[in-house]
Amino acid sequence: MTSSKLFEEPGLKQITVWARGVYENKEARDVVVAVTEAAALEGKFVQAWENYVDLPDRIFVPVRAYGKISDQPIESKYVYENETPDIVALTEETLVKGVPILGGIRPGAVLVVNTKRSPQEISKFLIGDTNKLKAVVTVDASGIKQGVITLSGAEGATDASGIGGGFSGPLAGAVVKATGIVSLESLLQIVKDKAAARAGYDQARVADAKSLGLAG
Amino acid sequence: MSFKEVPFAGTVPSPKRENEGMVTGNWRTKRPVLDKDKCTDCLICWISCPDACIDQSTTGLAFNLKYCKGCGICAEVCPSNAITNVPELDYAD
Repeated sequence: MTSSKLFEEPGLKQITVWARGVYENKEARDVVVAVTEAAALEGKFVQAWENYVDLPDRIFVPVRAYGKISDQPIESKYVYENETPDIVALTEETLVKGVPILGGIRPGAVLVVNTKRSPQEISKFLIGDTNKLKAVVTVDASGIKQGVITLSGAEGATDASGIGGGFSGPLAGAVVKATGIVSLESLLQIVKDKAAARAGYDQARVADAKSLGLAG
Repeated sequence: MSFKEVPFAGTVPSPKRENEGMVTGNWRTKRPVLDKDKCTDCLICWISCPDACIDQSTTGLAFNLKYCKGCGICAEVCPSNAITNVPELDYAD
């Protein structure tokens, strides 16, 4: 039995960020923390955490960070994985190959990828429920700001390097542009490097799934 | 079920050549590509590969991309620079 049948929460939005183990752990965590903290500023009920089942201490292994945003109190707060994500973000382009990133997505889901490539190039590699996608968004977040590689903040410890100091800021900016889940002003109040987050918002390339030939 | 049928905890069956329980090809961000003209068959990459992904076939060295994690050690140790790391999305397969 999946827990999606247990909790009918129409106002709930789930964010899943995929990353490569160790060196992008912090960036994935920062994207969900920045977006959910910004939503909390707007009076939403939020939750952000990292996947415990993945192998986070192996370099290059696909790992996940999760966020939940809702208008109502989150009933499914003890469900420890996002089973039906509305927003999927990748901190690294090659995660589109061989990793089930679109698993369980809801209709109207949005995919945001940190890459220099175009949405057209990325969409060629997508497999799974591509007909449920609403848009594919690419942004060269690593080109805007280099990633922060640190173990500070891992496993719930105090994060000394701040939220959104690396390429997570621009990537969160692209998520905000693609989905409008929070306002850019709220996001800029949370992230450390506000100029980079704004650049990510401006430079994100949004392509409609229909124009990419994914829908239907 | 008797206790003899219960698998020992935390183990996967001993592999002959490969282990289906630990396919690591999707960890790769860069793919090793061999230039056969430069390769001298010294096999330093073969002995250095931590996942034993390099096969010595009759036509020269070949990478087992089902398990290659793209760590780049083979390209680093190659004395004749015959191996280069190419971004994975440059290939459709």
